[in-house]
Amino acid sequence: MASSSSSGLTFKLHPLVIVNISDHYTRVKSQMNHSSSATTTNDDNNNGAQPRVYGCVIGIQRGRTVEIFNSFELLYDPSTHSLDRAFLEKKQELYKKVFPHFYILGWYSTGSDAQESDMHIHKALMDINESPVYVLLNPSINPAQKDLPVTIFESELHVIEGIPQLIFVRSSYTIETVEAERISVDHVAHLKPSDGGSAATQLAAHLTGIHSAIKMLNSRIRVLHHYLVAMQKGEIPCENSLLRQVSSLLRRLPAIESEKFQDDFLMVSLFSSFLNIFTIFYH
Amino acid sequence: MDSSIAQKTWELENNIVSMETPPTNSTADTSASDAIFFYDEGAQTKFQQEKPWVNDPHYFKRVKISALALLKMVVHARSGGTIEVMGLMQGKTDGDAIIVMDAFALPVEGTETRVNAQADAYEYMVDYSQTNKQAGRLENAVGWYHSHPGYGCWLSGIDVSTQMLNQQFQEPFLAVVIDPTRTVSAGKVEIGAFRTYPEGYKPPDEPISEYQTIPLNKIEDFGVHCKQYYSLDITYFKSSLDCHLLDLLWNKYWVNTLSSSPLLGNGDYVAGQISDLAEKLEQAENQLSHSRYGPLIAPPPRRKEEDSQLAKITRDSAKITVEQVHGLMSQVIKDILFNSVRQSTKTHAGPSDPEPMIES
Repeated sequence: MASSSSSGLTFKLHPLVIVNISDHYTRVKSQMNHSSSATTTNDDNNNGAQPRVYGCVIGIQRGRTVEIFNSFELLYDPSTHSLDRAFLEKKQELYKKVFPHFYILGWYSTGSDAQESDMHIHKALMDINESPVYVLLNPSINPAQKDLPVTIFESELHVIEGIPQLIFVRSSYTIETVEAERISVDHVAHLKPSDGGSAATQLAAHLTGIHSAIKMLNSRIRVLHHYLVAMQKGEIPCENSLLRQVSSLLRRLPAIESEKFQDDFLMVSLFSSFLNIFTIFYH
Repeated sequence: MDSSIAQKTWELENNIVSMETPPTNSTADTSASDAIFFYDEGAQTKFQQEKPWVNDPHYFKRVKISALALLKMVVHARSGGTIEVMGLMQGKTDGDAIIVMDAFALPVEGTETRVNAQADAYEYMVDYSQTNKQAGRLENAVGWYHSHPGYGCWLSGIDVSTQMLNQQFQEPFLAVVIDPTRTVSAGKVEIGAFRTYPEGYKPPDEPISEYQTIPLNKIEDFGVHCKQYYSLDITYFKSSLDCHLLDLLWNKYWVNTLSSSPLLGNGDYVAGQISDLAEKLEQAENQLSHSRYGPLIAPPPRRKEEDSQLAKITRDSAKITVEQVHGLMSQVIKDILFNSVRQSTKTHAGPSDPEPMIES
């Protein structure tokens, strides 16, 4: 069912959506577990059924870029096997008042893979958005996992056994974030010192963040280097498209060459040393 | 749900000692840290009826904010730009702590010019809460938040009046203030949680609050009302799934961390800060020139609270400098990483700090 998409749309996902879906799932699961295991012990949590939650994703579509900013919950109507339409419209109205620029881009759910019944829900949304997206989050926690368990599906018309059918195809996406979002995600993820602290702790926190990012960059470069060396030795068949990408990346360095940067930098650091001398002197 | 189960859940919730430690793989721990997501209607109504806060204005001491609520509030505050925005927070109480599980934005503007701007949004609030209850979010409104873009986390006169009103009719209620501009420029979340004292109450012992720079045009408003409320400690929590997802998320957005440049984003704000600093300097200068002895007298040993104008100004300027230097450091690091390709002997070592710049 899932091959790669050929629509040419680029998807950008904001971390807020991921945290939203995760919170929705955790809530529903904890309410369910507590009400069903009134007398049994906590071991049931792992064996308890994984509930499916449903919701809507909203955002902005500009040309070929689809940016998903936010999401909200929806109700699943088991009698019609689709989402409660009146509820969706009410919620959409409310969200439009606060975020007038966002449109409904698709829907989300949890589970390990897209299912046949999901297509029904997907088709129902097609009158709001002609090409909705389906964001699937896999809530099972697998410590060995390296990749984000979030997949974005689009629907495409394929001819299977002579019958044109809509099937789900996977699309790639990038994580996009605004500065404020990044700082708060960082804050909660690593629980950095929140208040004041001396200048030293602030500096330490700031540099730690950059250090981790550079470590990641280093590891990625190493992987690439390893791969290229193996290609050179002949262990792996040469892949020309990859080589072209790597060489174009290298040609872009150095990023900028500017002596003015050095001068500006020295001037600012000089002034800041003056100010710090005054502060020490005064205290 | 009978009372024994309610009690057991209550005890389980109260036993969550440290949310900050990453959950281990054992099932007991995961269920304990996720138990906070369970809304116990019975225990909450019991607490509402007892009203232990009536006798003690200082009853609530801590606030626990969920990852989701924080993210939503900061993003909403930032999206307002330089306009103050506000919203409501939903959650519950837990002993002397208020727990904020979720937040949502309200379509209201101009919160700094009138009391009870919330009245405009009553219909919105009711609709939203109803739909939320249907979708499985059972908590009630437990507070309100609003933003102070660029001028710090404190309660203005209007805010104090609004909150006093809230604390009369909607208890338990909390006020949260977020400064999205300072969040971006400082690289850490600027947030404060407050509760007002009832009219005429004198706090027994005011702990010395952390100093923050307030722009000159707001400093009067701050000073007049700063004794009428107290701030609560804020801690954050997240579910086990959140932890897992956030760890994995890091694999994708480390690029953003490295490429972010606070210097570019906040140019206007820094310019505003510097001009404000200049005004304060002028004021301090005028004060000094009026005193007869001027700079000849050595300042007498002062208590911590009585900071002279000049000391405050030096602290403000140090803060601006620190932020600028942080931003510049990132730029230098990026310069070393990406611009020094010609030198073949360049190592991949970590950032080299050119000069010691920050006082410890």
